[in-house]
Amino acid sequence: MTTTTAAGTGVPARDQGDRRLRIAIGVVCLIGIAVATYLTYTHYAGLNVVCPVSGGCETVQKSVYSKLDGIPVAVLGLAGYIAILISLAVRNELGRVAGFGMALVGCMFSLYLTYREIFTIKAICPWCVSSAVMMTLLTILTAIRVLRVEPGTVAPSAPAKTVPRAERRRTERRQAARR
Amino acid sequence: MASRSKQKEEARARRLAEEQARAERVRRQQRIRMVGGAVLVAVIVVVVAIVVSTSGGKKGGLQSGTTANATTAAVNQLLGGIPQSANTLGNANAPVTMTYYGDLKCPVCQAFTLQGGFSQLVSQDVRSGKVKVVYNAFCTATCSGPDPNEFPLQQAAALAAGRQNKFWQFAELFYHEQGDETNAYVTESYLDGLARQVTGLNFAAWKSARNDPNLTAEVTSQQNTGRTIGVSGTPTLIFKGPKGQTVANAAVPTYAQLQTAIKQVS
Repeated sequence: MTTTTAAGTGVPARDQGDRRLRIAIGVVCLIGIAVATYLTYTHYAGLNVVCPVSGGCETVQKSVYSKLDGIPVAVLGLAGYIAILISLAVRNELGRVAGFGMALVGCMFSLYLTYREIFTIKAICPWCVSSAVMMTLLTILTAIRVLRVEPGTVAPSAPAKTVPRAERRRTERRQAARR
Repeated sequence: MASRSKQKEEARARRLAEEQARAERVRRQQRIRMVGGAVLVAVIVVVVAIVVSTSGGKKGGLQSGTTANATTAAVNQLLGGIPQSANTLGNANAPVTMTYYGDLKCPVCQAFTLQGGFSQLVSQDVRSGKVKVVYNAFCTATCSGPDPNEFPLQQAAALAAGRQNKFWQFAELFYHEQGDETNAYVTESYLDGLARQVTGLNFAAWKSARNDPNLTAEVTSQQNTGRTIGVSGTPTLIFKGPKGQTVANAAVPTYAQLQTAIKQVS
């Protein structure tokens, strides 16, 4: 049986692909965390959001849909991005599916809020739209991760097969001394 | 001989391939079940969230009995002795004017009026004659709600109370007894109930004033003025004084934030 490896790395191509996906998901999560942290801060500090669209953010921020049972949706978004980021650390099927499930919840709820912005509140908050776009991206990326990676190809918490740099240097020194 | 061993190898290869295919099928089914489960859970979570989001869960509503009496007493204590004229609260010659763009069904306006800096502003700066407050109607929560037609009805009812210089008692009581903005609760009986709680209001005169089309026209005019000057949410608080004009930059401004705005213009 042959295993396709990414050119020159000795790492199976599939693992390499999963690594790229995890990096992409991590980056999107970090951007999402930054946006949600800003919106949470402005909410609790009682400040108006800096808004490129005149008044849209303020209208949305002051609407009933800015909270879910008393909890600001920005806080829920922040918790969602952090949870998806944490799911990346769980390197098995369960971690991948959990990440996808959470992203799907975030995406569907963001789309519902965007619908409310357009048809009920009749104002657009670009911060909220950007968060909805990021949740949609996360849903796509986590779905690809769930569908393309074969169970067992990425061993759960498998130790990296690379030799630590310090050990490599020690071996090189030993070999040089023998010569 | 060679062909027999070749046959054996082929059979083994076939067996291996079949086993692999079977294992693959099992894995695929397992994954489909997991993904299906995740999608199902996600849908349930979102549906629950949407139901919670739209139901609001706010109690509120028209009060009665001792609760209503206590609310009326609190409102009278806050506003008693402060001059009023139509939708203006405070000394007409006050150096600073705070124009309050609000919607009586707006929960953020309620938060500002009852828990934010408004009460302290009234009991200190308005009572001392330093600031006067003008309430202008601007439709936000009501227009996002199930029946935007409630807006002119409720705001004109407050203006009708203003004809007897009781606008602020009516508005304060409305905020105290505000219902869930996602419900169309502003009925004739609701407005009548509030009006009956306003101490000293001539109910028959208020009822008759409500039929005046000028009141609805005034509500529309206030709304249009708000739109013209760029109001987009409620409460929007505009301070005008000898040193110019500023807007309180917070959703629910505290008394300290109101003080900062007052200092900027006076």
